[in-house]
Parts: sequence; C-alpha cells; structure tokens
Amino acid sequence: MLDFLRRHPSAPVFRNASGNRLQAHEVEAQQAFEREIVDAPMHATPGIPPPWVYPLIARMHATVPHYRQRGSPPRAFDQVAPVSRADLSADIAQFVPDDVPLERMIQFRTTGTTGHPLLIPSHPVVAARYAAFHKRALRRLGIEAQYGAGQVGVVLLGFQERCFTYVSVTPTMGESGLAKLNLHPNDWRDPLDRARYLDALAPEIVAGDPISFTEYLTLPLTHAPRALISVSMQLMPALRTQLEQRFGCPVLDIYSLGEVGPVGVFDAALEGHLLLQPQLYVEILDRDGRPVSPGTAGEITVTGGFNDCLPLLRYRTGDFASLRPSAHGPVLIGLCGRQPVRFRALAGWINNIDVTHALEPFPLSHFHLHQGADRNVSLQVAPNAMHYAVPARAALERLFGAGTVVVEVLHAADKTLQYTSSLEGSQA
Amino acid sequence: MNTDYADLAALTRRLADIPAEFLGEPSVAGHGEMAVAAIVGDVLRMHGLHASVELLTGFQGRSAHADRNRLALAAVACWLLADDALIGADLPHPALEDVVGALVAEMAAITPAHAFVHDAERREELVRALLAQLGLRPLGETPAQAQDRLSAISAIQRRALLAASRQAEKRAREVRAALARKLAEESADKWTRE
Repeated sequence: MLDFLRRHPSAPVFRNASGNRLQAHEVEAQQAFEREIVDAPMHATPGIPPPWVYPLIARMHATVPHYRQRGSPPRAFDQVAPVSRADLSADIAQFVPDDVPLERMIQFRTTGTTGHPLLIPSHPVVAARYAAFHKRALRRLGIEAQYGAGQVGVVLLGFQERCFTYVSVTPTMGESGLAKLNLHPNDWRDPLDRARYLDALAPEIVAGDPISFTEYLTLPLTHAPRALISVSMQLMPALRTQLEQRFGCPVLDIYSLGEVGPVGVFDAALEGHLLLQPQLYVEILDRDGRPVSPGTAGEITVTGGFNDCLPLLRYRTGDFASLRPSAHGPVLIGLCGRQPVRFRALAGWINNIDVTHALEPFPLSHFHLHQGADRNVSLQVAPNAMHYAVPARAALERLFGAGTVVVEVLHAADKTLQYTSSLEGSQA
Repeated sequence: MNTDYADLAALTRRLADIPAEFLGEPSVAGHGEMAVAAIVGDVLRMHGLHASVELLTGFQGRSAHADRNRLALAAVACWLLADDALIGADLPHPALEDVVGALVAEMAAITPAHAFVHDAERREELVRALLAQLGLRPLGETPAQAQDRLSAISAIQRRALLAASRQAEKRAREVRAALARKLAEESADKWTRE
C-alpha cells in the first residue's frame, strides 16, 4: 500500500514521513475504544455535571501541577475556577499529569489565528482516538467506514503554499491507506495529477477544511468518496450544498479543537452541532465564569476529554454558542469562534450571526468582515470567490446601507478572524 | 492566666473540629462563597484590632492559582485565632497581622490548606507556628523545647516539600523537552487538522 501511494505515476511530492506509531496491543485497545464510543450514550444533561467529573477533579488536584498548587479540591464542581487558552499557553507543562509517560509524547501545534498559539501534548494513542468520534458522527448518517487492506480509507486534504504531506496505513482499519495531500500545484508535477491521483486512490473518506474543499471542487474527479469531513473553520451552507451536490455524499461539518478533539457534528435537523464525546462535559459560561441560564449564549467550556496528556477542567475554549438538550444529546446552537461581535447596521446593532445569515448563499471558503469607525464595512474573500463580490456586496448593503460596503481580496491563505470591528460597543 | 503559654492540645483539637464553614471555597475572582477578607476583619476585631483596608484587600483573591490556597489557610488560621483563650490573651496587633499575612502565605506556599486540618502532624505544625508568631509557647514546654519541636516538624515537612518541588521542576523540564521534539504531524496520524 505504501509503495502504491508513494510511487503512483501521478503521486505528488511527499515532503514528510509519519505513521500511526501504535504498538500491537494499542491497536486492539483502539478498536475496543472505537466500539465503545460509536454507540455510547451521551449522559450529560446541560447544567448538570455527570458523576465522573468529581473523581476527575480529585485526580487532577493530586496529579496536575497547576491544580495541585491551587490546594485542596473544591467540594462543588462550580467552585472550580475555569482556565483559558492563555493559562495553557503560559506553561503547558503545568497541565500535564505527573503520571503521563513522556517517552512517546508527541505534540500538535494549534494556530494562533484565533487566540494564543498552543503546543498540545499528545500521544499516538490519543491521535488514533480521533477516528472513534469521526466514526460516531458518520454512523449517525448510516455510514460505517469499511475499507481495509488494499484500499485507501482516508485522504486528508490541505491547500496551502506548504504543508505536511505523507502516506501511512491505519492498522485499526486493516492497514488501509491514509494519505495527507496538499492540493496546492506546487506539490504536483502536473496540476491535473491531483484528480488522477485522487481517482486512483478512490478513498472512502475525504477530510479537509473549507479552503481545501473549495479547491477539491475544481478538480475533474470521477471518484466520489462516501463522506466528506470538514473541520477547522466554519463551513458555509452554500459550500456544503455544492460539495453534497458535486459528490453525492454527506458532508460532515465537525467542530473540533486541538485542545479537545472533535466536539460536535452539525445536524441540520437539530439546527446545531450535536456533541460527540460522552466523556466531555460541556457547559456555557458568561464573561464572569458563571453558568448562563438555559438556552443563553456564552463561552463553550469543557471538562474531561480523551487526551490523557491534557485532561481538561472547565477549560474556556474561546468559542461561543448556546446549549440545548435533544433526544440525541446536547446540541450547540449558533456556534461561533471568538467573542461575538456586534455591528452597527440600518436596523441598529446586529451581531455577527446576522451577517453570516446574509452571506449564506455564497460558498465562501473563508472571509473576513470588518466595520470601521466610520461604520463602513469591508468584506474580504479568497481570490477564487471574487466572482461573488457583486451579489455579496448587495446582500450586505441590505443590512448596512447602500454604498457602505466594499469587497476586496483576502490574502490570508489559512484560517483567519472572521469578524472584527473598530466601533465602540462592538464587543457583544 | 499566664499569657506566655497556650494549651497546644486544646488548639489542635479545635483545629480538628473546625466547622465546615471555614473549609468552604474562598471567594476568588467571582468564584467561591467564603469571603475571607470579612472573616479576617471580624476575627481581628475580636482581638481589638481594626484592620486597615490595605490589609483586607490582600484577602480579596484575584487568581485561583495564586491566591486560593493562601486564602483557604487564612480562614483556617482565623478559626484558631477566634479561640476564647487567645482572645483573652491580649495579643500584640502586629503579630496578629503577621499570622494572617506573612505566616499564612509562607505555609500555604508549600502545603495544601486543608492538610493543616486533616493531618495530625500538620495540625500541630500550624498551631505551633501560630503560637510562635504570637510570642506564646505550649503549656509545659520551655522556649527551647517549643522551638526544637517546631523546627523538627517544619524541617521534615520542608525537606519533603523541597524534594517534591525539585521533582516537580524536573518533571516540568522533561515535559517541555518532550514537547520540543519533532512535530506530531510527523509523529502520528490524525484524520483532521484543527
């Protein structure tokens, strides 16, 4: 399989090497973990911490340096003072339990675009666990990842000037192939090789982000995967529709963070992101760190998780939503990264979700909207989306007024802050 | 009553029987219900000392990491100071301020506050340290005996904690070194990039 992936005549230049790094006993444990996770009930009711948080609090006060320095464990969950990304960023070593072996520790680097850049301590077993939650999300759509030996299970797509690319196999899935590709033409002898190679791989699942998926749409592919998984940034509804129609498969919009892993999967019927991790307690806090009343928006704050190297205790993610119960588990409603931003419009103050609604008809991979102190608005979109400039401007001017909006090229090739404002009072 | 002496046994028993209200969550940055500044003010007032705003401000915690354990121990110390015998001893005000201030800060820096309640040797250590700060010594002990016993208890604890502190620093260095190794994208497969 590795030979096939590397030596195919249309293969790109692979710049890196990687692998699952699982030991034999860990492969079995991972398979057992996946079986456990894929159907596990979501116990937590919004606002009521599940029983497992209390032993977690005690254990973290005993074994995690940051919490040990706080003194004795609090008696009640809501007495645990939350921590933020800034706390982790100041010294991540203070949040790694004493009993985590370091020989095989690895780290992931999260971007600093939407907050402090972070190194996330991890382990090959933890990295492998992501698949369990993606499979849980796929199973809700009736899709079981089945590919095995001789087939390519997963292709991960990036689209950047430069990114890590490599090939590997997944032992928990019968040694099926895995390839991380960069669709940027720089990595290919011939840009047409991208479609030829992807068709040759015929992967079961393709994962990426809105930027790489926008490029993926332009390729003259004949093969369609069984599902697409989009992470990293907001997936605009129009782009999702384009992908669904083009490939005839479901597109999973997964809310995932480097510190936490996959948190929720968007479900149109539920109108939000359904939580995915049974051992992750999600609550919504106000700016003072207090739980909000049910249904109110606030900061998504998480406890628990599957990363033994970084157990979390009331970790404020910097993302915002409200939380609503459902028959399938708690659902995050109105998810937005970063503190909500208000804009001054014809109707008075509106918030960024209203602007997102106005831009929904346009399959934008990523964008940045800024309102200046003069109330004029600038929308920046990727170069390949500039043909939407006229209708996007018209949509925004219905909110902000005629002549107040310009549309320009966004030069950022990667994740970017979506909404900013120079107006006083813009922080919601 | 000889005001140079205090009943060590009675005070350690008092500590062991501390009401739950003094073991509550200190109010720090909007979390916790125990207003330690108010407790300190009230107890000092029982000793005839009107605490300054500056002093009491030091008991309004801003950071759980920096202040929580110190404030928790201050509440425990206040429970001891509210003992009738100590109130009747006409204790010097600067010494009282030093107990709730410097002494509590020093001891909280190395030991979880509630260990001074739940552990017999830590109870003795806290009471002896408090008495020494107030210029008192346990009934039946000479000054040398009192000093020796306090030094012995404190030294054992300090040695243990020094070792733990060195181990913690070593561990933190090792974690940082492990994280400085090659990027995980080269180290393990993950389906998605966040």
